[in-house]
Amino acid sequence: MLLAVTAPVLAERPPAKPAKVFPYAIHKKTLANGLDVVVIETPEFKNVLSYNTLVMAGSRNELEKGKTGLAHLFEHILFRHAYKGQVGAYQDLMERLGTHNNAWTWFDITFYHPLSFTSNLAGRTLGAEQLPGVIELEASRFAALDFNEKIFKTETGAVLGEYRNSSTFPTLRMSERLLALAFPDHPYGHETIGYYEDVVAMPDHYEAARAFYDTYYRPNNCVLVIAGDVKADQVFALVEARYRDWQAKPAAAVPAAAPLQGPKREHVGWPVDVAPRLYVAYRQPRFETASVETAVGQLLAELLVSRSAPLYKKLRFEKQTVSELAFGEGTQGFESFDPRLAIFDTQLFKEQYAPKGAAYFDEVIRDIEQGAEDLKQFSRQKDAKQILQTLKSKYRYDFLAAMSSPAAIAQILAWYYRFERDPEVFEKLLGSVERLQPKDVDAFARKYFVPQNQVIITLAYQAARAEK
Amino acid sequence: MVNMQRRVLLVLLALAVPFALAAQQPKVVTVDSSSPLLEVKVMVKAGSAADPAGQEGLAYMTGRLLLEGGYGDPKKPVTKGQLAEITRPWGEGAYPQVLVGKETSTFSATIPREVFTDYVARVLRPLFTEPLFASAELDRVRRETLEEIRSALRFQRIELLGLLALDNDIHNGTSYAHLIEGTVRGLEQVKSESVRGFYRTWYRPENLTLAVSTKDAAIVNGLREALAGVGQRAGDAAALSPRAVEAPPLVTGRHVTIIGLPKAIATGLHAGFPIPVTRADPDFWPLYVANVWFGTHRDSFSHLYQVIREERGYNYGDYSYIEYFEGRPMYMFPPTNSPRRYQYFSIWIRTVGHDYAHHLMKALTWELENVVRNGLTPEQVEAAKNKARVLYLSLAENVDRLVGYKLDDEFYGLTAGYLDQYLARIDAVTPEAVNAAIRRCLQTENLRYVVVTDQSVAEKLADDIANNRNASGKTPKQYQLDSEQREGVQYWLIPENRLKTLQQDAVWEAYRLDVPRANIRIVKAEQMFETAAMPQ
Repeated sequence: MLLAVTAPVLAERPPAKPAKVFPYAIHKKTLANGLDVVVIETPEFKNVLSYNTLVMAGSRNELEKGKTGLAHLFEHILFRHAYKGQVGAYQDLMERLGTHNNAWTWFDITFYHPLSFTSNLAGRTLGAEQLPGVIELEASRFAALDFNEKIFKTETGAVLGEYRNSSTFPTLRMSERLLALAFPDHPYGHETIGYYEDVVAMPDHYEAARAFYDTYYRPNNCVLVIAGDVKADQVFALVEARYRDWQAKPAAAVPAAAPLQGPKREHVGWPVDVAPRLYVAYRQPRFETASVETAVGQLLAELLVSRSAPLYKKLRFEKQTVSELAFGEGTQGFESFDPRLAIFDTQLFKEQYAPKGAAYFDEVIRDIEQGAEDLKQFSRQKDAKQILQTLKSKYRYDFLAAMSSPAAIAQILAWYYRFERDPEVFEKLLGSVERLQPKDVDAFARKYFVPQNQVIITLAYQAARAEK
Repeated sequence: MVNMQRRVLLVLLALAVPFALAAQQPKVVTVDSSSPLLEVKVMVKAGSAADPAGQEGLAYMTGRLLLEGGYGDPKKPVTKGQLAEITRPWGEGAYPQVLVGKETSTFSATIPREVFTDYVARVLRPLFTEPLFASAELDRVRRETLEEIRSALRFQRIELLGLLALDNDIHNGTSYAHLIEGTVRGLEQVKSESVRGFYRTWYRPENLTLAVSTKDAAIVNGLREALAGVGQRAGDAAALSPRAVEAPPLVTGRHVTIIGLPKAIATGLHAGFPIPVTRADPDFWPLYVANVWFGTHRDSFSHLYQVIREERGYNYGDYSYIEYFEGRPMYMFPPTNSPRRYQYFSIWIRTVGHDYAHHLMKALTWELENVVRNGLTPEQVEAAKNKARVLYLSLAENVDRLVGYKLDDEFYGLTAGYLDQYLARIDAVTPEAVNAAIRRCLQTENLRYVVVTDQSVAEKLADDIANNRNASGKTPKQYQLDSEQREGVQYWLIPENRLKTLQQDAVWEAYRLDVPRANIRIVKAEQMFETAAMPQ
C-alpha cells in the first residue's frame, strides 16, 4: 500500500509560479449552529482519514486567577468521554475502530487530530457488533461531553506528571518569567500548562473545568477540518446529521493586552550547573492575513536567525558566543490572535561565562539588538532586493514541503484559517509575501524592535551557598 | 560465423563494461512519487560502531564535517555559509542534514525537481567527492558537542540521559556501547587526519546506498554518477582498519545502575536485555504485535501505560521497545535510518516521584514477568493487531518516510520491503505465534536496569533494593478515595475497580527484585559518557 503522492495542480514540469498556491481545492460549509466544516480531498493518500477539530480556545482564555491550565487539562479530559454513559467508552471505541488519537493545546487554540482509515468514517461492523464511526464519536465528545469528578481528578495526576517532566528544563522557568513580564495583565502571561500551584490545586477545580467546557466547546467557536481519501459531499451530509444539535453560545471576550512598557529584564539563578541561556523578546503585532506587517513577520526568522542571517553567522561562527540561536517559539509563536512575542532564544557557553560573568550576557544582547537595529536599514543593503527574492522563493517551497500528508495539510489549514475564517487565506498570505518590498522590512523593524517592546531574561548557574 | 562471433563478443563487452562501472557506482533504491519535491537520501554503511577505540565520536564528526567543513577547490572553498546561500532559495529541506547511527550515516535533502541538475552540480557531487573538513569547523563542532554532553545531557535532559545510559549499559564493552555523538575523552582525540581517514575508509561508492522518490531514469542515473567518485579525495590520510561489531554481552541476573543528579525532582526508570530478533527475522512480526500490546510508544494503548498512568496516575507514560527508537522523547513515531543488527528489548517508565521509584521498578518487572508467564489472549492479540494497522498510517505518512524505510530495507536485506509487507504480515499474525515469540524472546531473570534520580535518594534506594524491602505505591488518600468515620475510626470507601488496583499494588509492593548489592552501582551524572565504558 504505497502512498503515491500527486499534486494535481503542480504537474510534470511545474511552472515557475503555480496558478493557485494551495495545491488542493478547499470545500467549506457552515452549519446553522455556526460550525465551520472544511474538507480537503486527497485521494492519492488511499484510505487515509484525518479528522480534526479546532477549538478556538486555549490558555489565552483562562481569565480567572488560580485557575490556569484548564484548557490543557481539558485537552486530556476530552479523551475520557463516557460515550453513551459508559466510562472509558469513547477511547475504547476509537481504539477498536482503529484510530491514532491525540491533541495539543496552545495559547490561542486546542487541536484534536484523530487519524484513521476512511473506512472508519461512518462506522463499520466488527464481528457481530456495529461500531460507531469517527464522526459519531467525535461529535459526541464535543457536543455532549460526559465526564465526572472522579475522572477529572485522575487526569489531574497525569497533568502533574507532565509538568514534572518539563520542569528540569531551565527554559520552562525562563518562559514563565518572560511571559509574566511581557503580559502582566493578560492570559498570555502564563504557560499553557499553567502555574505549578494551580496544577497542584487542580483536583479541587472541577466546577471551573465544567464552566470552561460550557463556554468554549461550542460550534460557533470550533472548526472541523477533514482531509484524506474522502468525498466532501458525503462528509458534509454526515457532519450535518451528527452535529446539528450542538448549541451555539457566544464566547467570553479576552481583554486586550496592555502595551509592554519595556524595556524589562530579569535574571534567573539556576541550581544546576547548566549552560547559560538568554531570551531577548520583542512584542509583535497580532496576525492579520493580508497585512504587510504579517507578511514581514513571515520572513523575520529567515532574516534574523536562519543559518544565512548575518546575526546568526556573527554569533554562531564569527564570534562563537552562542551555541544555539533560534526564535524560541518559531514564527508560529507570534501567529496569534493577540500580539505575542518574537523571542531570540540563545544558549551560551559555560566556559565563556566563567571568566566573563554578566558582561557575557550584555555582549550577546548588544549583538542581538544590533541585528534587529540593522533590519531598520535593510533596504539600504545593495543586495536587499535579491535577498527578498531568495526568501520569497524559499517561502513558497517551504509551504509546499509542509503539505506532506493529509494530517499535515489539515493542521496547516486549520492554523491559518482560524484568523479570518477565509478559505482564500493562503492565496492572500502568499500574495502579501510576494508583494513585499525592502522598505517594508525597514518600517516593521522601526516600529517593533524598540526598547519599549523588549523583555530580556537571562539564566545562569547559581550555587546555593552564594545566595544570601 | 565470424559475424556471429563478433556479435557475441560485442554483446559480452557491452555487458562487461556496465558491470565494471556498476561495481564503482552506488546502489540506488526508489519510491514512486510525482511530488514536485524530491526526497534524496545517501546512506553510508558506517556509524559510531566503526569509531576506533579512543576516538569515540569520529563517525559523528565525519558526518557533521562533510556538511559543515566546506568543499571544492581548497583555494576557493564552498564554505558552509556559501552552501546555505546556494540552497536557500530552494527551501529549508534543500540544506542537507545527517543522521549518524551505530552502523550507518544517512544524509538527506529535499530538492525541487526543477533544480535537480543544478543541485547535483553545485551541491551533491562536490559535497561528497571533494570535502575539505576544515579544522576550524572541526574545533567548533567538537566544542559544541562536548558542551551538549557535559551540560544538557548530563544535567538537564533526564529522560534522554536514562535512555542513552541504558543503551551504553546493554552494549557495554562492545563497539555499540558508546554514545553516537562520542565520549568526552574520545572527542578530544578526534583530529582532521582521522576524519579524512574515516571518510577515505567508509565513504566509498560500494559502501553507499542512495534512495530517491522517483523512478525517473535520468534522475536515478544522475544520482548514481554524482556519487561515483566519493572517497577518493582524502589526501594521504591512512585508511582505518574495520572494527568488529560484537553482540551485546550476555546478561546474567539482574543489575541496577543508579545515576544520581544534583537536583532531580523526579526519577526515570529503564530496563532491558538483548534479543536475538531484528525485522529481518520471521519471528519479528509476532513479537512486534506482542510489543504493540505491551508498550506502544507514546500511546495510551500501551499496557504499561494503562496500568501505571491510566489506572494509577503516576506519570506521563510507560512504553516498551523491540527496536531502538532514535529521537525519544521528542518523536511520536520512530525516525527512519537508525538500523542496527543488534537490538534489545527495553522498558521506559517516564519520570515518577522519588517515593514511587522502587515500587514501580517492581511493577515493571512483575508486569513483564506476567506477560511472559501467561502470554496474550486472542482478544488482546486482535486488539494489538488493530493498533498495529493504525500505526501503519503514521509510519507510512509521507514520502520522506517511504524513502527512509526503503533504505533500511537494504540494511536488513528485506527484499519485500518493510512497509510493503507490513499490513499483510500483521494480518497473518496468530495468537499462537505471538505467545511462542514471547516465550522465545522475552524473560525477566536477566535484566539491566537504569535509574536516573536525585543523588540524595540514591543510597537509600540501592539499600532498599538490595534488601528486598517492600515498596508501597500510592496511599488511599493519594488515590483520592472517599472515607468516612464510624465510631471514631476512619474507613476508606473502596469501589470495586479500585479494590483490584489496591490488590495488585500489594502484589507489586511485595515482589522480590532479588538484586544483590554487588549488582547495584551508584554513579554520578557527571561520570556518564566520559569514556566508552559505563562508570563503575
